[in-house]
Amino acid sequence: MAEFPFEISPMFEGERVRKEGMFVELGGPKSLGLELVRAADMDAIEDDKVTIIGPDLKDMEEGKTYPWAMIFNIGGELVEQDLESVVERRVHDFINYCQGIMHLNQRYDVWMRVSKDTAAKMDSFEPFGKAVMMLFKTELPFIEKMQVTFYTEKAEVEKQLETAKEIFKARDLRTKDLHDEDVDVFYGCTLCQSFAPTNVCVVSPDRVSLCGAINWFDGRAAAKVDPEGPQFEIAKGDLLDASTGEYSGINVVAKKLSSNDIQKIKLHSFFDCPHTSCGCFEVVGFYIPEVEGIGWVNREYQGMAPNGIGFSTMAGQTGGGKQIVGFLGIGVNYFYSPKFIQADGGWDRVVWLPSMLKEKIAETIPADLIDKIPTEKEATDIQSLKAFLEEKKHPVVARWAAAEEEEEEEEEEEEEEEVATAAAPMMMPAAGYQMPSMASMPMMPMMSAGKAGGIKITFKKAKISIERMVISEKKE
Amino acid sequence: MTKVIAITGKGGTGKTAVAALLIRSLSKKGKFILAVDADADTNLPETLGCENVKTIGDAKESLQAEITNPRPDNPDMNKESILQSKVYEIIEEMPGYDLLVMGRPEGSGCYCYINNLLRGIMDKLIVNYDVIVIDAEAGLEHFSRKIIRDIDDLIVVTDASRRGFRTAERICELVVELDSNVGKIHVIANKVTDSNKDKLVKLAEDLKLSLIGMIPLDPVIEEMDIKGTPLFEISDDSVAAIEIESIVQKLGF
Repeated sequence: MAEFPFEISPMFEGERVRKEGMFVELGGPKSLGLELVRAADMDAIEDDKVTIIGPDLKDMEEGKTYPWAMIFNIGGELVEQDLESVVERRVHDFINYCQGIMHLNQRYDVWMRVSKDTAAKMDSFEPFGKAVMMLFKTELPFIEKMQVTFYTEKAEVEKQLETAKEIFKARDLRTKDLHDEDVDVFYGCTLCQSFAPTNVCVVSPDRVSLCGAINWFDGRAAAKVDPEGPQFEIAKGDLLDASTGEYSGINVVAKKLSSNDIQKIKLHSFFDCPHTSCGCFEVVGFYIPEVEGIGWVNREYQGMAPNGIGFSTMAGQTGGGKQIVGFLGIGVNYFYSPKFIQADGGWDRVVWLPSMLKEKIAETIPADLIDKIPTEKEATDIQSLKAFLEEKKHPVVARWAAAEEEEEEEEEEEEEEEVATAAAPMMMPAAGYQMPSMASMPMMPMMSAGKAGGIKITFKKAKISIERMVISEKKE
Repeated sequence: MTKVIAITGKGGTGKTAVAALLIRSLSKKGKFILAVDADADTNLPETLGCENVKTIGDAKESLQAEITNPRPDNPDMNKESILQSKVYEIIEEMPGYDLLVMGRPEGSGCYCYINNLLRGIMDKLIVNYDVIVIDAEAGLEHFSRKIIRDIDDLIVVTDASRRGFRTAERICELVVELDSNVGKIHVIANKVTDSNKDKLVKLAEDLKLSLIGMIPLDPVIEEMDIKGTPLFEISDDSVAAIEIESIVQKLGF
């Protein structure tokens, strides 16, 4: 390792340079700070070169704050534009390895401080630049050539900021365009296992964590830093079913992490082997058998959903890391996923949203559906919901006719219905005797009570609490 | 090695005053201190003479909104680095010590992820200091969340009341339940007078609590309190300051 005037070690990560011990502050809350990594042609890079535009360290006044921009150029056979953000993320780490130099935040919010001790050991930012580049090339050997330019003059920094913002914008657009099929690994998170022991949160580009806080990129960053930590890689394995989002790799992890409790998790399915629900989810989806549709309610919504239950009751039933068919916890961002419950009809299946949630996610609701999905303002119970959907010709209405036909067939065959882990206990909707359709909700389409002919109900692991049930003869 | 001292006790026993006096004494000894106000009823900043401080609670709330934004501008943002930056920004840099205020409790969403980030950030922050002095509420919430993992010395402040001692007893039980790493538990009797002194010593013995100091009822403190003068400015020869000096020595400084 070349000689540097200051020590270099991961030990210095998190080092806080206090105001009293600070020589200068670069960027930060009181000024402008920028960092950017750009891929460049090998020929355009003069390896190891540090350029300083504006006052250098020795020309700076003690205790002052200066605007700051640093633009790194990287080159190498394997270096491509898509690597820029991965490399840029390490700037924070490597600068912090330098003793007496504090680096915080990212992109155009960079905040640095140089300690008096370290400033006393060098006149220029040059050794600092060289040290950081040495770390990059050692730790990321695909970088063959690297150069850096530091800007410390306000006008120059502003100019760089402007260009950089455009670059970030373009980069973000590419990032947002990443989908499940574009990557080889997903990420798992077990942060919630302390209270939902069998919960296996699978984070993919098209599915944010249930709490909404961890996306695929966060998983990638965390797993890289601490592969044994709460976020870890899940090798995708084989795609078993594109529609439901079933991958062999996810099934392996689901079994392992749930102590064999859960055999399969299908990422984009509502009914069949849905994702487990921890309890932290931002939104819970619930099947409404009477209309063959799915309603969603967010944590902040205080009222009741048309099924007569509120968020907290549903969350109580759904949480705990189980697969509860008929309910599904999600992060709000999942509404924006192009694969949003695609196995079960996607947006065509959405029949109810609280108005606050509908407003928040309006931009992602398909234009032809937005007026067909009622909120608590239009539908507060099953009847008004049904009437609204029918009046607006919601796509789910087409399922009703189909369901009735199917039902008749089933009756003839007297098939035994298998009931998955039931989504009971639910409060009964006010209207009449609806239990059969509730209990068998995932498997059975619409079934109105009171019809002639027998039905067989099989409850498995069901918990049902009914406060009051009145069965009376139907008056014709 | 950084030494972590947490001060707790029943409300009204003067734990914040004791914390402020400890910080004062330690900073006079040239120790590099991080003072942490971990009581939702934030009193330490004022007692130290620090105003309008920002809190971790606020930073968490704003970051929570940012990281759970379903349409982030940059899905690949480094959330840890942003939270760290926010934490470092709200640290108040006072002469001789830094002050960090935990502030309000969290909202209704899921804070697992953000608390996990915060744990990592606090671990790295703590090693920057010689001593961490924490003014903690009796429920020890931030410890149960393991935002701050280890405590070397837990000091329970009590007044002469039986209830104060009972709280001390309960805190000792809580520590066992918390399963956190707590080195030693000490008790400081506060607002001690000649008439209740013997009774206090006996009470501590009965409850098997280790009494590390008895701070006399100090008229100077009362006066400063009424005037709103920060306790940090107390004179060295006040009776309370003298007793704190001896406690600090017993703690190994």
